[in-house]
Amino acid sequence: MTTLAIGLLSASLLWEQISAEVDAGLEAAFKAAVARVAPAVVQIQTVGGLETLPTGAARGGPLLRGLGPTTGLIVAADGYIVSSSFNFVHLPAGITVHVPNGQTYPARLVARDRTRMLTLLKIEAHRLPVPAVTPKEEIHVGMWVAALGRTLSVSPQGPPSVSIGIVSATRRIWGKAVQTDAKVSPINYGGPLIDVYGRVVGILVPMSPRGDQETAGVEWYDSGIGFAVPLEDILRVLPKLKEGRNLGRGLLGIRWQAGHPLTAPPIVGDVLPGSAADRAGLRSGDRIVEIDGVPIERQAQAQLVLGPKYEGESVRLKIRRGEQTLELGPVALGADAPILRSAYLGILPMRDDATAGVEVRYVFADSPAAKAGLRPGDRIVTCNKLPVTDRNSLRSALDNLLPGTEIVLGVKRQGTEDKIEDIKLTTALAPLDDRVPDQLPVGTRKQAQAAGRSPAVPAALEKPRQPADKPVPAKQPQAKPQQPAKEVRKGAWEHHDPLSGHRFWVYVPENYDPNITYALVVWLHPPGDPMKDVILQVWRDLCQEHHLILLGPEADAPSGWVTSEADLIKSDIQYMLSQYAIDRFRVVTHGLGRGGDMALYLAFDAPELIAGAAAVGGTLDHLPAREPTRRPPRFYLVAGQRDPRLEGIRSLRPRLLERNVPVHWTEIAELGSGYIPQADGIRHLVRWIDSLDRL
Amino acid sequence: MSFAPRFGPSLCTAWITKPRVAWTAALCLTALSAATFSVRAADRSFADVVRNVQPKMVKIFGAGGYRGLTAYCTGVLVSPEGHILTVYSPTLDSRELRVHLYDGTRYEAEVVATEPQLDVALIKIRTPAELKLNDLPYFDITAPIPDVQPGDWVLAFSNLFEIATGDEPVSVQHGVIAAIAPLAARRGVHEAPYKGTVFVLDAITNNPGSHGGIVTTRRGEWIGLIGKEVRNTLSETWINYAMPIKDLRRFVEEARRGVYKRMPAPEDTTKIVQPLAEHGIVFVPDVLDLTPPYVEGVLRGSPAEQAGLKPDDLIVFVRLPASPGSSDYEERVVPSIKSFRQLTASLEPGTRIQIIVRRQQQLLTFDLTLAPRPKGNPAPAKKDSSL
Repeated sequence: MTTLAIGLLSASLLWEQISAEVDAGLEAAFKAAVARVAPAVVQIQTVGGLETLPTGAARGGPLLRGLGPTTGLIVAADGYIVSSSFNFVHLPAGITVHVPNGQTYPARLVARDRTRMLTLLKIEAHRLPVPAVTPKEEIHVGMWVAALGRTLSVSPQGPPSVSIGIVSATRRIWGKAVQTDAKVSPINYGGPLIDVYGRVVGILVPMSPRGDQETAGVEWYDSGIGFAVPLEDILRVLPKLKEGRNLGRGLLGIRWQAGHPLTAPPIVGDVLPGSAADRAGLRSGDRIVEIDGVPIERQAQAQLVLGPKYEGESVRLKIRRGEQTLELGPVALGADAPILRSAYLGILPMRDDATAGVEVRYVFADSPAAKAGLRPGDRIVTCNKLPVTDRNSLRSALDNLLPGTEIVLGVKRQGTEDKIEDIKLTTALAPLDDRVPDQLPVGTRKQAQAAGRSPAVPAALEKPRQPADKPVPAKQPQAKPQQPAKEVRKGAWEHHDPLSGHRFWVYVPENYDPNITYALVVWLHPPGDPMKDVILQVWRDLCQEHHLILLGPEADAPSGWVTSEADLIKSDIQYMLSQYAIDRFRVVTHGLGRGGDMALYLAFDAPELIAGAAAVGGTLDHLPAREPTRRPPRFYLVAGQRDPRLEGIRSLRPRLLERNVPVHWTEIAELGSGYIPQADGIRHLVRWIDSLDRL
Repeated sequence: MSFAPRFGPSLCTAWITKPRVAWTAALCLTALSAATFSVRAADRSFADVVRNVQPKMVKIFGAGGYRGLTAYCTGVLVSPEGHILTVYSPTLDSRELRVHLYDGTRYEAEVVATEPQLDVALIKIRTPAELKLNDLPYFDITAPIPDVQPGDWVLAFSNLFEIATGDEPVSVQHGVIAAIAPLAARRGVHEAPYKGTVFVLDAITNNPGSHGGIVTTRRGEWIGLIGKEVRNTLSETWINYAMPIKDLRRFVEEARRGVYKRMPAPEDTTKIVQPLAEHGIVFVPDVLDLTPPYVEGVLRGSPAEQAGLKPDDLIVFVRLPASPGSSDYEERVVPSIKSFRQLTASLEPGTRIQIIVRRQQQLLTFDLTLAPRPKGNPAPAKKDSSL
């Protein structure tokens, strides 16, 4: 037994000893590896530029920029340097590069890779040291790596900063990046991630699966979640970047059938007209079986194969259509960000209408509908010989057409209802300057019947209203309570979730009628002030008169909204949709100042949920991720000429128009950073909301 | 077989299948290990180091617990009588300052000396006269300090987040020295008081309560004291760092003897003072926080004109004496007009400086000898705006 005890003791000592030697060996190996790459790791200095980094509402305000130098890696002996685009988001006036050999050069920004957040610089230097590359097939989870940076280097000749870790995953962020637990942060963004032999695995960048901005993913700095773009991938596109070509994402141009990407089968829901998928002959209902020879069984797998592709790159598809298996392509993927637009008629449909077809409520001047002679009161019953049953069916018929297509509408005219008249017209693009009619007829069929008030509401609560086009509500003894089974909350009420601490308030007009579809206005308050009373005071009567419901989520922090709160707001909206008769085409975010930023952000973040954003004094420095959508959200922007943020607010409009997003723009001379001052202005906004379901 | 797991799965479990084989292996390796010990005695395992360091660490509890200030921090014994080095923080500002030793013994403590410039404090365990301590395990601050480099493996010991109480040992973290660099940091909106060179670490060592913890080399040699949580102004990120103990040695030794005198408060160098000398550069209007230092024009007959600076030159660097009158020059980046003014404000007439500008795609260097400021001429800031 004694022998056993001695054996155990020595074994344990021995194990500690071996472990110490492994540590020493690894430490020495990495020092040698760092020394091997260090001559190619350059320090980048910038002059001028923004002091805060544009992250918009994304982080509840701008991010302060570090004033230190940043890092880059030499990738070609004749002076090409790759760095992270994060290092240039502040738009510097001048860039200089310190090469570890002691030389300093002015640098030129050659091109950006927008898919991988990289920037290529050029300096007029020769015979620079170029590091060795770790082949992608040798990058595996668990291998030791080190992240190098130059921010902390006192002199560019000194050693770079080092953080050691392992590769945590390969093929992250849709196949574009390697993940590491080495500490990655602004002190080494743009620097190399190296292996223990002193070869470069990749370039360190901030990245996030949730955003495609240069600053997305910075919130994960030093967390043990860091990303690097494999150098092998970068070298593959280096010739294109050297030509000065900015590289963007390649898009197939489809939307999947609804479902969670990790579980849903890869069945095409919708093919965007003019897209790569359209050119390849893909159709709605096709099931994708293979992309470029890779078998696909779930939507996420398809995204993983398509994610790393650049615009202009070709793919081959194998699909199943009914009993057939077809090979499509090769087809070149489309460019980034086509916000495709639907064919436009220029009408407003009548809502809450039980009769088959779509009654024309309003015709926009100079629109295709006006030119073809369509009139208010006409009822559209067919589109290209296919029956139109309601608003939704006309909408989806138009969604499958390109602007400029000639169509035939079957129309019943007032007085001659028994006859269907064919009206031929050529659809157009909806105008980008989002016009708001000066006057609008009533938008709901139900209201015209005047029964639209719940008997539960005492007459005393009814505000006297005399719109000329609305009949005075008569006592209707036979009016039966509508949907008696479901008692909905009316008036102003609040909700507080004790678990998450999240709060919101709601105003539902006292004369709420579940047979009328209401517009939902999601009020996003400026930092620190929910403004509930002000908003209620201004909007209460309008809500009753124009069938609006207000939802006022409250930001968690007094400093304002952060993007992670978008999910909470979206679930608040979903809750409202489940409780009240709300028109999905008229869900609007509305905010003031930084709350306006959030309103704009949400419209980009959830275009399937939000039809428009009305921002007073709001702006976004960077427009968020752009998925192709058929009907982009519409924007209503109000800027005060005395607003200190005026320039930023003004800069948003051209950027939205460039993306083919409809914008209504108002500048108010005497307005600072406050709310819309005149009642007229707010009524105008209400008409814009009322006309959001234009077709 | 009970000892097989001690070897760890990667080495041995795969081939040690029978007790007899295991025995032989263990004995052979024991012999081997004895030999190795004699060759590389300095390479101690982490476990060994931790056993040695932990008894010297203390947990400190004092004032705080509100407005983001923790009521706890970490300290390290630096004398057998109970002197403890820690970071100067509001936690110490308490009449009921308590320390918990490694073995769970609790003592009251009192502040002996503080140095706001170094952000450190020396406290001492308070005991009744009849119970004089003189045999506590401690680190000798006068011991030789190894030379360390970026990439060296280190261990950090601290009571981060007050995880340890009573006789629980403080938390140990592992990382490498990421860089050895001057601390350019702020705490809130204020600049961090400590300005010296620090060890920047790649482990997340600077957390609530970890200030006053220590960093050792892989072999257990004490090299640094973990500072407060601060943001690095170079990158605007939280930074993990430790102050080298060689810079704290004098403080500890003199404070122990009761003879420490505080350092004088540094001068405020951030104020833009009236420049002493004239360079003759007229900048574009300084309207932004970081207006790039573009030359709008040069005054006739000025050093800038004589040197050959031209409108539209972008000043990128300036080389100036490291200290007034020094012949050592240092190169400084000039990110904005404001920083150029700050850098050059205190230079005397007659000082030679070099200005490096970007003109088209070239970097050009110009030598200027600063001239006396002309009489009756308003400050350059005024001239800028009038142009």
